[in-house]
This record gives sequence, C-alpha cells and structure tokens, in this order.
Amino acid sequence: MKKILLKILGIAAFIYGLLFAVFYFDLDGKFLYYIFEPAMIKHFDNMKREDNTTMPYEMKENVSRE
Amino acid sequence: MRDLKHIIEFEDLLQEAHNDLVRQARESGRRALGYTCYFMPEVLLDLPGCFSVRLRAPRSGSPDMATYYMSNRTCLYGRCLLERALEGGFNFLDAQMATETCTVTCRFQEHLQLMDIIQNPDFFCEFTDVPFKKNVNAIDHFEKQLQCHVLDKLKEHFGIDTSDEALLKAIEEHNEVCRLIQEIGSYRKKDVPTITGTEFSIIQLVTQVCPKYLIIDKLRDIAEDLKTREPDVKPGYRIKVVLTGSEEDDPDFIRLIEECGALVVADRYCYGSIPGREEIVVKEGETPLRAIARHYIETSMCPRFMEQHTMRERKQFLADVAREYKADGIIVCQMKFCEYWSYERTIDTLILPRDYGFPVCSIEKEYVNNAVGQLRTRFQAFVESVEIKKLQGGAAK
Amino acid sequence: MKIKEMGGKLRARAGAMRDKLSEKPDVRKMARDFWYGKPHEERRLGDLYIGDTGLYKHREWRGVVDTMYYFNMIWLYNYIHMVTDVMKYGGGPVMGPVNLVKGLMRYRWMGQPYLTVMHWFDRGLEGMRGPILRGSAWHYRGMTSETIRQFMEMFASDKKLNGGKESEQWKHNIAHNETVSGSIFYGFHDVLEDIPLEMIPYFVTCHVNNHTVLNYIDAAQSIGLPSDPCPMCQAEYGLFVLDDYPDYAPTMITSNEACDGSVATSVLQDWFLNRPLYAMPQPMRYDDPLVQEHCQREIEGAWKFIEEQYGVKFDWDMYCKYAEEQNKLTAFEHEKWDVAANTPYYPINGVAQALYRIYYSQDGNRPIWHEIDAHVRKIMNNTVKNKIVTLPKTRHRAIAWSCAPLYYSNWCTWAYNCWGINCVINMDSLMFDQYLRTDTYEHALEDLAWYNEKAPMRAMAVGGHEHILSLWSYMERFNCDMVIMYDQLQCKGMQGIHGVFEDEFRKRDIHAIWVPHALPDKRTVSRKEIRKIISDYMITVMREEPLDPTLVDFEDDSSW
Repeated sequence: MKKILLKILGIAAFIYGLLFAVFYFDLDGKFLYYIFEPAMIKHFDNMKREDNTTMPYEMKENVSRE
Repeated sequence: MRDLKHIIEFEDLLQEAHNDLVRQARESGRRALGYTCYFMPEVLLDLPGCFSVRLRAPRSGSPDMATYYMSNRTCLYGRCLLERALEGGFNFLDAQMATETCTVTCRFQEHLQLMDIIQNPDFFCEFTDVPFKKNVNAIDHFEKQLQCHVLDKLKEHFGIDTSDEALLKAIEEHNEVCRLIQEIGSYRKKDVPTITGTEFSIIQLVTQVCPKYLIIDKLRDIAEDLKTREPDVKPGYRIKVVLTGSEEDDPDFIRLIEECGALVVADRYCYGSIPGREEIVVKEGETPLRAIARHYIETSMCPRFMEQHTMRERKQFLADVAREYKADGIIVCQMKFCEYWSYERTIDTLILPRDYGFPVCSIEKEYVNNAVGQLRTRFQAFVESVEIKKLQGGAAK
Repeated sequence: MKIKEMGGKLRARAGAMRDKLSEKPDVRKMARDFWYGKPHEERRLGDLYIGDTGLYKHREWRGVVDTMYYFNMIWLYNYIHMVTDVMKYGGGPVMGPVNLVKGLMRYRWMGQPYLTVMHWFDRGLEGMRGPILRGSAWHYRGMTSETIRQFMEMFASDKKLNGGKESEQWKHNIAHNETVSGSIFYGFHDVLEDIPLEMIPYFVTCHVNNHTVLNYIDAAQSIGLPSDPCPMCQAEYGLFVLDDYPDYAPTMITSNEACDGSVATSVLQDWFLNRPLYAMPQPMRYDDPLVQEHCQREIEGAWKFIEEQYGVKFDWDMYCKYAEEQNKLTAFEHEKWDVAANTPYYPINGVAQALYRIYYSQDGNRPIWHEIDAHVRKIMNNTVKNKIVTLPKTRHRAIAWSCAPLYYSNWCTWAYNCWGINCVINMDSLMFDQYLRTDTYEHALEDLAWYNEKAPMRAMAVGGHEHILSLWSYMERFNCDMVIMYDQLQCKGMQGIHGVFEDEFRKRDIHAIWVPHALPDKRTVSRKEIRKIISDYMITVMREEPLDPTLVDFEDDSSW
C-alpha cells in the first residue's frame, strides 16, 4: 500500500515537475504559437463559408413597432 | 434650355452664408437662427421675428484652424463650418439651434458653446435631443424637446411669439414654400425634364439659407417660368439618376455629375428636398407643435433611424423615388468620415441592384471638391455602364 | 579583412566571458533573488521575449512564493478551470467538451484564441508581485470563467453546430448587442438567457489574441465599407460577412450605444441576422430631465418585445433580486475606487481594473463576479490593513481617458514596469456609476434608464462636452498627475474635440501623453509605436530614466 502510495506520489511529483517545466519554459505558448495556431489558421482559411450577402432583405412581420 | 428666372441671383446668394438677404432680414430686426440638420424643424425657426439659416461653408479651402480642434479625421463639413465660424463668417447668428444627430456636427456646435467664437452678445447655442425611432414615444419625446429647447428658448431670449396661432401661420408659410418647391421639382419627373439637377439644387438650397419671406415671390416666378420652359431639342444628358447620400450643399457637385452625362432628377440627401419639402399637415385635434414633431420624425429618411422596419423601408423608399422620377440609376454618395452614410452606402450598393434592379454608383467624397478628376472618371464610367445595360436591354427585347 | 574583423570580435567576446567567469558570484544575492525575485531595476523583462512573438524564453521568475503562486494558482488553476468550466457550463463531462470542440473547429474567434488565454494573463500580470498579482489574477479568472459560460451557452444552442436545429435552448436565448447592458434582462433572468452577440467573438478575443479580429475588419471592408469608421463596428459586422456568428437566439436587441457607427452597424447586422429585432436607443442629451421618460418607455418597449416574442412575463421580483445583487457589485466597486484614489494599497493593476470593470458591469449580475469580489475583498482588506504598497515603484499616477486600444490594453502593465507609470483608473471604469433602486417600479425604471444612458464610452463621449471634460475632476478625485489620452483614430467623437483637450492641457499644465490607436486593429498603430510615444515623452519631456531599460525598445508585432 505504502509502495503504491509512494509510486502515486512519485508519478504526481513527476507530472507536477513536468508541468512546471512546461510553465516555466513557456512550452504551452510555443506549442500554441508554432504548431496549433498555424494549423487552425489553415483550417479556417480553407473553410467553406456561406455568402451572407445573399440573405433576403424584406419587411419582417411579427416585430413590435412600439 | 433658356436660363431660369432668378437662377443667377440665387446662385450668387449661395456664395456666402451671410448673404444679402440674410443681411436685409437682420437689418429689419429679425433674428438669424442657425441649424445644421433636418431634425431641427426650420418651420419653428421661421416664426415671426426670426428666420432660419441652414449652415453652409461655401468656397471653403483648407480648414486649418478647425483641423487643429477637430483633427483631420472628422468630416470636412463639420470642420469647414467650424473654420468659417472661427473666421467670423457666422457672427451674424443670433442663436444656433443644435442637435446631437451626428457626432461631428454635434462637436462643431459644442465648440460654439464652449469657446467664445460667435461675436454676437446675444448668441446662444441650445441642443435638442432627437429620437432614433418613429414610434409614438419618439414623437412625444421630440415634441417636448422642441417645446423646451426651441420654442421656450426663442421666447425667453428674443421674445418670439410661439403661440399656436403663430405656429399655424409659420406652418402655412412653410407649406407654401414646400408646395412651390414640389411644383418646381415635379418637372424633373417628366420624360425629358425641363429643369436640371443643378438648377433645382440651387433653388432648394436658397430656400434653406435665406429668409423665406424674401424669396417666396421669386419662387413663384420660377414656378411660373417653368410652366412654359421647353427642353432642349437634343437633351444634354445620357441617363437620369437619383442622387442619395449624406450632407450635400454644393450645386457644383451636382453640376459635375451632370457634366458627365447623368441628369440628377431626384435629391434624396441631407439638404435635399426628398424628403424635406413635404407639407406639414395638422391633423384634427392635433396641436401645431405636435404636427411639426410628428412630421419631421415621420418624413425623415435619415440612416440614424434604427427600427427594423424603418431600416428596411428606406431602401424601398429610395427605389420608389427612382421609379417615380424615371431614373436609370442611383448615385449613393457619402461624405468621407460620415459613419451613418458609410454603412448605409454599403448596404444600398448591395441591395438596390440586387433587389430592385437599379445600377448603383457608390462614391465617397469630400465637402470641398477641389480635385474632382477621379470622381469625374467614376461618373463617366457609370453613365457608360448604364447606357450599355440599356442598349443590351433594348437588344434583348 | 572580414576574417580579421570576425577574429577580433570573437576575441573580445571571449575576453568578456572570461571576465564574467572570473567575477566571484554573489551567492547571497543570488539566493535573495531566487527567494524574493530580483529588484525591479534588475529584472530585464525585455530579455525574456523571443523575437517579436511575445513568447518567453522562460516565464519570469518572481521569487519562490510568487512564482509558485503563479504556477499553481494562476497557470495551473486556470488551465484546469478552462476544462472544468467547459463541463460545468456546457452540460456535463461529455456534452461540454463535444460542444467546445465543435465551436473550436467552427469559429475562428474561438479556435485561434481560446487556448492562448494564459498568455493574456501573462501579458497583463508581467512584473506583478504579491497582492497585486493575486488581486489582478482573480479578475482575469472571473472574466475567463464568464467567457466560457457565455460561449458554452452559445454553442449548446447554436443552430450552426447542431444541424440547423432550433433547440429549446435556442428558443430561450436572447441575443443582444454587446453594448446593451445585461441589467435590462433581469426581469427575465431565470427563464431566458441573454447573451451578448459580439462580446466573445469580438471584444474578448481582441484582448486574448488579436490576430483573429483582423479577418473581420478586412471582411467588413471587402463588401464596400470604407476604412475610416470605427473598427470595432467594422469587426462586429465583419463577423457576419464571414459567416462567423453563432446562431443561438431567435431575436436580437440592439441599441445606439455608443456612437453613430454603432447605430449604423445595426443596419448591416440586421440584414445578415434577418430575424426580429428590437432597437432600444438611449437619448443622446442624457442630462436633460426631459429625456428620461422617453428612455424609460424604450426599455419597457424592449420588455414588451421580449414578452411578445418569447411568451414570458416580465417578473418584477426577479428584477429586484438581481438588481439588488448588482448593487452589491457596485458597492464594492466604489470601495475599490476609494482605495485606488486615496491610498497606494490598491491590489489591482490598471489592465485588470479596466477590463474587469467594463466586462462585469456590461454583462450584469452573475455569480462569478460575487465570487471574484470576495477573493479580491480579502486581498484588499489585507493590503489596506497592513499598509502594503502594491506598486512600490510608482512615479506617476495616471488616469487613462477615452477608449483604450483593445490589442494593447496591457500597455499599463508595461508602463509601470518600464517607467513607473501607475494607471490608477480609466474612463470606461467610471461609467454605470450608480445603484439601481428597487423600492418602486417607477424608481427602478428611472434608475435603469439613467444607468443605461451612462454606458461605456457614451457616458463621457456624448450628451455635451462637459462629460468628456469631466477628466479634470476625475484626475483630482483619483489623485493623478498624468493623463494617458487615448487617441482612437477612427472615433469621430473624440477626434472632434481633440484641440480643446490640447488647449486645456496647456492651460492647466498637465502632463498628457496622446496614445494613438485603432481599437482592435494593431496594424494601424502598433504596440511598439505606442510604447515609443510614451517612452519618448518620458525621456524628452519628463527627463526620466527607465526602471527597466530592456522594455524601452523591443519587438512584439507578431504576438497575440
């Protein structure tokens, strides 16, 4: 039991240390900046979009005029 | 066509705000009341004892002092007015009846309040709040505002009679001007109009910047003259257009459009007559002030109105005007830095051809039209494109 | 020749290294710096940046306690909450993440900025230590949580993400312009969900990651709009041009706040939304007692519209409940202002103050704001009680006037770190400055009208020059000796009174720094240019030395 606990503690400490390294060296930022965002930009640039200028423009019913 | 009666004299009157007729009216003891926006009912400023002057800054150059105060990123109309005021060109004003209806003219008028610009000991500047909707609440509100910020102030400062009787008389006189302008303007609806857009704009502007009682006879003469005026055998235009958009008080701009072959048959812009020269109807049981408040709210087609149906009706209205005046196309023209009209122009440019089939020429312009080469090219190209469409349409038939 | 030159340089560099190595390390100082963090003048924060990316070579070491606080209670805590809040507000551990991913992949304003949130924290909290780090971070946390709540509400009911289905939730949402205050909807608060349409897609994303908004501005101009209207309005309808707005509600309520551009934007938004719209304008000359009734009727009109459209009744008790809750937030805001104005113990920095204030007061009463205020109250009580000077290197107390650059709202963090300029308060924090009475319906309506007339930007920018010129009295009230005068290049209202300010600054002998900007669009005036303007003034006019010389000149053009 103690061993498992220690093992869990060890793993937790390792993860904690790893996260601290990610935090301290701004690895999250670097990942987002160099990998994630360019991929998202590519995705959004290639996305098919509705042409909203085809939206009808006529008088609407059921609108309070007061 | 032969020259219209009084047109040269009228054009002369437009050369400066403090023109001969304004001088004459002031010398006779009447108070000159300045305003900039349609929402300030001129009929109230034309009560006995005073007269309205819609402010213009003709022959403006570079408004350097005003640019210091308002930067070079505001509309030149507002800046030129401030420049003219700083130069002393509006010292004849006894009061400025202001509205906060667009930002830059509001700031111009605030400068009149804040700084000692108008060298007239009696001068004051009073603001009226103008609603953004056309509902009953808006009319109630506007009526109260006009009572408090226009009528009460005129009475308090200048002893003007603001009774219902006086208002009814002012409405009557105002309506006569409207009737005459409508009559004069109706000649633009003819298949071959017998009045040009430039001439009409001169006449319309004169009614806004001169005391009406001094021009009414001349308007009657012009209306009479038009009854017998014949169009040229070979008309000097190639297409007919509606001009719509923001502030426009320069007949030379209309002249420029017409020189390019597009006759301006309808003027749906600030300072124009559509809307603007509709008669005020006092309904039964209505006070004259209520009728005036309702009239100005209901008739205005300003892009400032933001109810859904009003926004959408504006496009329909414009298309109806174009049809009524047998126009071939629409020129949507926006003063640079005018926010209301930059958006309205954008949507008009997309909706009018798509939903109503009118070709649109969409332009941005300055108040001072010095370098007009680019605009000329745009108008010429527009005229040609409309002509080609007409030819193609004819061939298709 | 070249080889000779290079050889010389290398030798010089080697010599410098040798000298450095031969210096005896001051172990005690190193230990002190490790434990407490370096003194302000030795931090060299500018050296931490990688090129113009705004990324850090490594995050700042603030001393053990503050670094661990930042790591645990800010970085880790908020990353974790960015997941748990998604589950909490998004309908559980399955639907929450599913809707989040759908939203991330569908909307650019979501996909690009969401995960960069912690770098928004970083930028705003740079150089902060102790209570001001904590107080400001809680404010950021509040904004993040409320943002997540709002977009999860949007995604859960968004027709575009749910196969065009009009769900029950869709039918119970009210979309409104971001400048319509949440307080308007208190009478329907428990039965309908009011969600500002542009608050997240436009306003919040500008601060977090300003790359996305540029697409919307360009899109707005692509259909013919000139470039001079307010870029905020441009971006707000550019979202529609790019079909990047979430379709989460059957109706829309708009207003004329804050300017001509805002009114005009409604025209295009209405076209693209193409659904019932209620316009709820506020009067321009709002000091005039005569306008109040008109404004009240318009608010009632909005309520009637909601009742008609949704088949629900305005609930007076519900209104009172939430208005009173909001009054508690206002009361605490006044306490905060009191501390900010009269003491150096205020534990919130300029950017946190500005953003939090505008966000919560615009949004209206939500539980998260009370939670955050409780944390901040504790911190503030402590700083006041123990007389902890929160920004000890303050040389100037500044008030920021007019509207701020959204892509560089954290300039005040930089200004303190670099020059010791402490931006105590800003103009938009000062709006909505009143309580809502609930003793009678008439009083409630009176206050609500008045409250909305004094909304962000419009409170000072419209209704008479005396409002914008109230700067002088606020300067006095907050004990400021310097003005940072935002010069929003496309704001006609502010441009229209530029010269009067120049005259007054001279007449009153006030140090004022004009900061030109284009609200969300960093291309017009870059952050670097803004810093240069401030630095030039500090060097040439104030004749001061920077506290941290590495911050005077650095690149960050490509940063978020």
